[in-house]
Amino acid sequence: MSFMSRNTLTRLVMPAALMFTLTLAACGKPAEAPLPWKVIDAPTLRAMMASDKDLLVFNTMSEIECLDHRIPGTKCLACEEIEKNVTLLPADKNRDLVFYCESAQCYRSCRGAGAAVKAGYTQVHVLDRGMPAWKQAGYSMETVERIPRGSIPSVRAADLSRMIAERKDLLLVDLRSESSYREGHVEGAVNFPLYRLSRNYAEIPMDRTLVLLDDRGFRTFLAGSYLEMKGYKVMRLFGGMQAWQEMAAGK
Amino acid sequence: MESMKLTARKRRCGLPAGWLLAAAIALVCLPSAAPAAQDCQFCHDEPLYRVDFSRSIHAGNGCTSCHTGITDIEKHRDGREKPAPVNCGICHQEIAKEYLDNFHYIQEDFRCSDCHRDIHAIKPVDRKKIKIATIEKCTECHGNADYTASGHGEAVLRGNQDAAACSDCHGLHNTRVFHTSLEQYPAEAREFYTQKCKHCHADSVMMARNNLSDKMVAYYEGTYHGKVQELGYPAPVAGCGDCHTRHNILPKEDPRSSINPANLEANCGRCHSGFHPRFLSYQAHPDYTDRQKYPALYVTFLFMGGLLVGTLAFFWFHTVLWWRKVYWENDRMEREGILPPSVAATGEGLQQVERFSVKYRIMHVLLVLSFFTLVLTGFPLKYAGAAWAGTITQLWGGAHMAGLFHRGAAFVLIVGMAYVTWESLKFLFPRGKGRTGWLGRLLGPDSLFPNLKDLQDLKGMFLWFFNRGEAPKFDRWTYWEKFDFLAVFWGMFAIGGSGILLWKPEWSSWLVPGWVMNIAALVHSEEALLAALFIFTIHFFNTHFIPNKFPMDRLIFTGTYRIEELKEQRPLEYERLVAEGRLESMKRGHPGIPLKLISATFGLGSLLLGLMLTVLILWSLLFA
Repeated sequence: MSFMSRNTLTRLVMPAALMFTLTLAACGKPAEAPLPWKVIDAPTLRAMMASDKDLLVFNTMSEIECLDHRIPGTKCLACEEIEKNVTLLPADKNRDLVFYCESAQCYRSCRGAGAAVKAGYTQVHVLDRGMPAWKQAGYSMETVERIPRGSIPSVRAADLSRMIAERKDLLLVDLRSESSYREGHVEGAVNFPLYRLSRNYAEIPMDRTLVLLDDRGFRTFLAGSYLEMKGYKVMRLFGGMQAWQEMAAGK
Repeated sequence: MESMKLTARKRRCGLPAGWLLAAAIALVCLPSAAPAAQDCQFCHDEPLYRVDFSRSIHAGNGCTSCHTGITDIEKHRDGREKPAPVNCGICHQEIAKEYLDNFHYIQEDFRCSDCHRDIHAIKPVDRKKIKIATIEKCTECHGNADYTASGHGEAVLRGNQDAAACSDCHGLHNTRVFHTSLEQYPAEAREFYTQKCKHCHADSVMMARNNLSDKMVAYYEGTYHGKVQELGYPAPVAGCGDCHTRHNILPKEDPRSSINPANLEANCGRCHSGFHPRFLSYQAHPDYTDRQKYPALYVTFLFMGGLLVGTLAFFWFHTVLWWRKVYWENDRMEREGILPPSVAATGEGLQQVERFSVKYRIMHVLLVLSFFTLVLTGFPLKYAGAAWAGTITQLWGGAHMAGLFHRGAAFVLIVGMAYVTWESLKFLFPRGKGRTGWLGRLLGPDSLFPNLKDLQDLKGMFLWFFNRGEAPKFDRWTYWEKFDFLAVFWGMFAIGGSGILLWKPEWSSWLVPGWVMNIAALVHSEEALLAALFIFTIHFFNTHFIPNKFPMDRLIFTGTYRIEELKEQRPLEYERLVAEGRLESMKRGHPGIPLKLISATFGLGSLLLGLMLTVLILWSLLFA
């Protein structure tokens, strides 16, 4: 192996691999600026919560989701609420704050943490890979008001588009934030952001079958179970608006 | 209340015999001081708890087996003691562990009773109905009409216990989801589900029971799709579900099936583009031993196999005899104290003469480099299942990078081959002479084309091997050198031609139908095996490992050797050079130490690498 391996490795493979990696790094992701908050993993959060009783840990999901299941001893505060009114956070800007959400990408916890950093908080943390990581570590959860899981049928984007054309009794309910809804939505969909749904769901008419839409299809199930509990007839779009847009682009 | 507690205690002391077993089970999970079921049913007196529960599979467990945290029934009644959340994992530990990875838990926080809704009345499920029950449960939410209409779903509902229910592919308590919104979706999901399909479809007993072939998996694994999939390609290559779709898996004859001839263009078109419709005659699971179904492939397989076995058998036989002769001969000379003239050379005999000009030496180095690159990138794909294949592929930076290097080296080799062809034409039709005397040059002593003398030499060598005569006297090129040279032409036709077709199969389909790709793949693979084994065993031996040259002959790298060696190895050429007065112009200085060192390093390195690859290849060939 003496000659060829050294040759292929050093002269061919390594530079090529390096270039490949550099290209990936350059094209795949924009150059990453250091995050303005600390990212902590689940065991670290658990240790912090055990040692610091005053630690403020925020679940940035909607109230419906947070009360259904959250990390024990944490508070419910949707990221939209923080962005709208940062005074909901404690006055002491040097307090340790932790934000987490229910996705491995931490999109919502980062929004919450971003708002806190912008408001001048210095000790901001985000739970790496969010609640899924907490659960996979085998740690327990806490339930305040559990929503009975319903049988919420899901429809594929293509089927939904056919159903919209055929059925008049459907009401498309877009659960995404106001801004996402404004950027673009399915024609005829009404916007009931999930973070406020527990307060204004009663405005949704009861005489139609609801089709719930969200970003990626992860959140409509629990929202659907909640609305079913409240007496609505509900369906959900499989894969959310992402699937809808992919279908629309594929046409 | 006090009296009730007493009665309860009495009752507990006098357990009926039928409850003994239950008590034994309960002991495992039940804290001993907890109230018995009857105590709970005093208040919780709905029929579900009183009747259905006592008939359920959990009847042997007390209420507090699951609803833990109640130690005193009075405190509970007063609201001072509340049961802890139910944790089925206390008993069902394995499932609880699996469940931590379940998508329904991680993303939707499902708890056991969200699927096992009738938990208080739950009864053991008839083994034969589990699959149907699973489908019914999953489709409560997942309205996959295409699954329930498909081959698997339909068969399960008809009572087939082998057909896949939802959980056979997706897992039951460890349901994994490769969410379409995540980047790792295509590669990981394809790998995961392809393994699931293979698990059943390679099971010969199960397939035989269902009148299906268990060979489909092996045939697929023999194709480019299957091999790249096995190596772990980071970019798309067809796994099972890519062609057969995920849920709507139906036999070819069904017009709704993705592999129905009418749907093939769209099906293949999801990955391939720019192909002629005849591209679709490519066979995704070909069996080249099936003479009826794939006659062309069968004939190719026989031909390539015959060529491989025939060539190797003949030359290995030739090599062994040759080695035997030289070894014995050397032994005799050693005993008698005779030194070979080339070693004992003095004076004029030490003079170096040129055999290979710089140009040809460089070409040989390029050939060595491109050949090894091709072998090191191609064979991991040929033996994708072998452990070493993955290691080598990773060294290249993945199968995709290995593929790029393979094509790069192929390009170098093709250019080199074109140059050799050009040189050969120049040799035959030199400037000024044109076509006159080309036949004489073709069959002359400086030509690499075989002639009658080669046949005589071959015969002479065999006689010599068996001590029936002197070794034949060679001119500039021996018959085995001519074979090496011409074999590359054949090899380049076979392996290069098939390789170019496979380079961009969509474009090739404008020239040849898809089934030719199956043949091209077979030819490419078998010819590669022949070429690698030929070079690493026969060429290496004839040129380097023969006892009087062992461990290597540096001639191809330094370009010169002693006049005495020329006289010994190519006596006729020497005589010709002397007669034509050309010898003087071929004299060169002794190669310098740097050149010798580089030659030795490169040469020995290549030889060692080749031998190592031979071991790996033979290992995979014989034991994989």
